[in-house]
Amino acid sequence: MMIVKSNPEQDKKTIEDKTRSEKLIGEMRKYNEELSKAGVLLDLSGLQGTARATRIKFSPGGKKAVIDGPFTESKELVAGFWIIDVKSREEAVEWAKRAPAPHGPDQESEIEVREFVELEDYLPAEAVEKYEEVARIRLEKLSQMKRDARKGS
Amino acid sequence: MRVMVMIKMNKDREPGKLPPKEAFEEMGKFNEQIAKAGILLDMGGLKPTAQGAKIKFLPGGKKTVIDGPFTETKELLVGYWVLQVKTMEEAIEWAKRAPLQHGPDDECEIEIRQFFEIEDLPETDRVVEAKKAGKKIGDVYKEMAKEARGQQN
Repeated sequence: MMIVKSNPEQDKKTIEDKTRSEKLIGEMRKYNEELSKAGVLLDLSGLQGTARATRIKFSPGGKKAVIDGPFTESKELVAGFWIIDVKSREEAVEWAKRAPAPHGPDQESEIEVREFVELEDYLPAEAVEKYEEVARIRLEKLSQMKRDARKGS
Repeated sequence: MRVMVMIKMNKDREPGKLPPKEAFEEMGKFNEQIAKAGILLDMGGLKPTAQGAKIKFLPGGKKTVIDGPFTETKELLVGYWVLQVKTMEEAIEWAKRAPLQHGPDDECEIEIRQFFEIEDLPETDRVVEAKKAGKKIGDVYKEMAKEARGQQN
């Protein structure tokens, strides 16, 4: 997962602000195109600013507090992400380095590259079975959703 | 609406160290519930930041690669669910039920963020047309990528 980090200033920006720089949009589009042509791109998305977000804080003893955004004090916000399937961490870092500077050339920005936990190499056998079961139910429900959408339209 | 439900911790896990078996079972049960509810679009767990990297984009086009672990970070992303829900309240209700395991000194937080959807895009001709045709934001991205490919060839 290549995570584009946000900051309080970027977090306030609306989609209109973000799409104002045609140059950056064009560079991003080209980069996304390169990722998909290389056959490594699994998913990509952008997240709304934290003005429309909520946090649930889990404290020791089972207490839970709900806090509404925006989270202006936060230094570790996520603006968006790509999920890519690559052979090594080095390959992922190379891809991340080729991305256009996410907030434009005049702003400091950061992309964090993180590895996914893969079931086989990480989890105990019983847990893997459970997760496979969840994956099966998820796919079943998703195809049901698609069928319903087709019927509806 | 699609939301990303992110699990954040203030301390990173030790590389290779698994949570106790009961924690896996609890989480497996919860995952099964959201899958059965037909709202689970995607999910993933991330490995500790010891296996991660950061790319810092500086003004002027300079890029630096920093290897993990990122010990100074207080809000580490450890995993997430992507859910299809009707309202933020629905997402909050589910998130509150998540069986998060943490030690007595650890803080743990779930952050719920909304995805950018087609309704949020500026009303260009393309967006207006796509909305009329009942298309989703992913369809618009795909079309744009296809056009970019056409322009390159």
